[in-house]
Amino acid sequence: MIDAISKNEMSTEPGAVRKRKILIVEDEFVNREILTAMLDPEYEVVTAVSGEDAEAVLLRHPGEISLVLLDLNLPDRHGLDILREMKKDLRTAKIPVIVLTSDKEAEVECLDLGAIDFIPKPYPIQKVVQARIRRTIELSEDRDLIRGTERDHLTGLYTREYFYRYAAQYDVYNPDVPTDALVLDINHFHMINERFGKQYADEVLVRSGQAILEAVGLCGGIACRRSADMFLVYCPHLSDYKAFLDGIVTAACGADKGRIRIRLGVCSETDKSVEMQTRFDRAKIAADTVRGSFTDCIAFYDNALHEKEVYAERLLYEFQTAIDEKQFSVYFQPKYYIRPEKPVLCGAEALVRWIHPDLGVISPGIFIPLFEDNGLIRMLDRYVWRETVMQIAEWKKKYGCTVPVSVNVSRIDMLDPDLIETLRELVQSGGLEFCDLHLEITESAYTEDARQIISTVNSLRDIGFVIEMDDFGSGYSSLNMISTLPIDVLKLDMVFIRNVFSENGNLRMLKVIFEIADTLSVPMIAEGVETAEQLTALREMGCDMVQGYYFSSPKPASEFEKYIREWLPTVESAAV
Amino acid sequence: MLTLEKLRAFGANVEEGLQRCVNNETFYLKLVEKAIRDPAFDNLRETVEKGDLERGFEIAHALKGVTANLALTPLFVSISEIAELLRHRTETDYRQSIEAIIAKRDELIALSL
Repeated sequence: MIDAISKNEMSTEPGAVRKRKILIVEDEFVNREILTAMLDPEYEVVTAVSGEDAEAVLLRHPGEISLVLLDLNLPDRHGLDILREMKKDLRTAKIPVIVLTSDKEAEVECLDLGAIDFIPKPYPIQKVVQARIRRTIELSEDRDLIRGTERDHLTGLYTREYFYRYAAQYDVYNPDVPTDALVLDINHFHMINERFGKQYADEVLVRSGQAILEAVGLCGGIACRRSADMFLVYCPHLSDYKAFLDGIVTAACGADKGRIRIRLGVCSETDKSVEMQTRFDRAKIAADTVRGSFTDCIAFYDNALHEKEVYAERLLYEFQTAIDEKQFSVYFQPKYYIRPEKPVLCGAEALVRWIHPDLGVISPGIFIPLFEDNGLIRMLDRYVWRETVMQIAEWKKKYGCTVPVSVNVSRIDMLDPDLIETLRELVQSGGLEFCDLHLEITESAYTEDARQIISTVNSLRDIGFVIEMDDFGSGYSSLNMISTLPIDVLKLDMVFIRNVFSENGNLRMLKVIFEIADTLSVPMIAEGVETAEQLTALREMGCDMVQGYYFSSPKPASEFEKYIREWLPTVESAAV
Repeated sequence: MLTLEKLRAFGANVEEGLQRCVNNETFYLKLVEKAIRDPAFDNLRETVEKGDLERGFEIAHALKGVTANLALTPLFVSISEIAELLRHRTETDYRQSIEAIIAKRDELIALSL
């Protein structure tokens, strides 16, 4: 009673409460009147006395009817026919229908056709009728909400959240079915976006999604669009993923055969105790191993990958301990000035090694990319800078001379607002000149946020730091850019040197580069020099400095000192 | 004019009927008035006399629903019986049962005058 009063009161405010609309299809006046009276305060009731009438009302109120109460015996049509037609028509298929009947035999058929519930005749008391109707509307609206959010609007595939829940549900009911977690990723999707436009890219996504849905339908799995161009599939184990993927790629390409490439990572038949998300992370790791490949597009997460992942995980986990226990050791590789007949030591590059108590010496090739991925590299770089400054200071004290050492400054460091202050304090704390510490900034960093990087580099140079552009020749520097960049030294990439001196290498390329460096008056260091022949050639081309195994591998500080001692007499004689 | 007392005396389950009509006496009585003047009663007689048992069943079925909802028990019971026979298209003499129904209906009309 109180409920009814408060609702009535509310409805006197304009627009305060909008009642849900219920359509009663019933030809008997008395029955119609009773139902209307039962529902009237809570709902807006619309009535129809025949099948034709009902159809007209439904079309007149598209999307407005929350529920239909349907009598089976109508003068023009049987209620079941109306129900059947409603379910076939997309405009009315989702409206819940409660059948009014005293006919037990019709019940199963009604349910099969999509009726949600029954109200028998004679009608139950008002409260019961109202409760059934309220519950039915509630369920149906919830279902619509779920349908509205469980699917990605573009492709019609599940969204991630629902996907993971349905996948978990799948496992609950199929605990013994070997099931694979799949990740499908469109190669270079951002380039498709850029080259052919968003609309085209969307069409590719829709076609891919559709094809995935069909493929998954055939094998009894489920699929979702995980993010922009990445799809997840959870399905019973398949033996032939090539056919599976080929079908999808063909459909994704549409008329533009061969334009779209999709890579597939499979985490196969794993132990279901492994968390769902982890299985997909693994499939993703597998997929990314064939990211750039034109020949392979399917990869399985296997033992080797697992070990690599576990290894990487361990390294990440033990990083802090390694820093605390000084397991990272800074090695020094000498740089030689090669213009004179007898090359002269002119500096060194600081290179980090991880001397792990159990795993032995770990190559920076393994842990640097790992730490770059998650930002730990910042801490490691600072560690190396500190150790290096201390080492330069120690040598200065011991030998009375300075060996300038270059350290790596990672891309992420360049975005650090405290970078300049940190470096300044560090150098000052060691009692060094700024020019004693050289900073190596990788070529590709310049191309990312060039303006900010250039401004930071300028500030560092103004203070007195020497800037070396690392990995020159491996990236995409344009000549134009190099001529305007604030650089003191160009470091020619090791891989570049190796290629040039290989069988099919082109020495002329190298010569051109040295000419450019000469024109710009920027000295050049060649990295990775391994043979006397390379040294001679580089010298002839006008290379200033060389670093590489020909002279020495990177050495611990104590071993590096022998190069300083060899060099000392020349320094002293020069001083005299 | 119909009253609750008269209906009760007729044998209707007034409390049940009233409850279904959201306990509104006027509304309940109005619906009973309407129901007893439904031409379906006479249609039932004519249709069955013509031997159209299928249509006869439809009419009886509808009347059964209405009388059940209004809890007009004596009418409902008679109609239910004939509806069951008609559902199975039973070949029998329906005249007596139909006359009994009409008599009950007429009894109510008399009460309403």
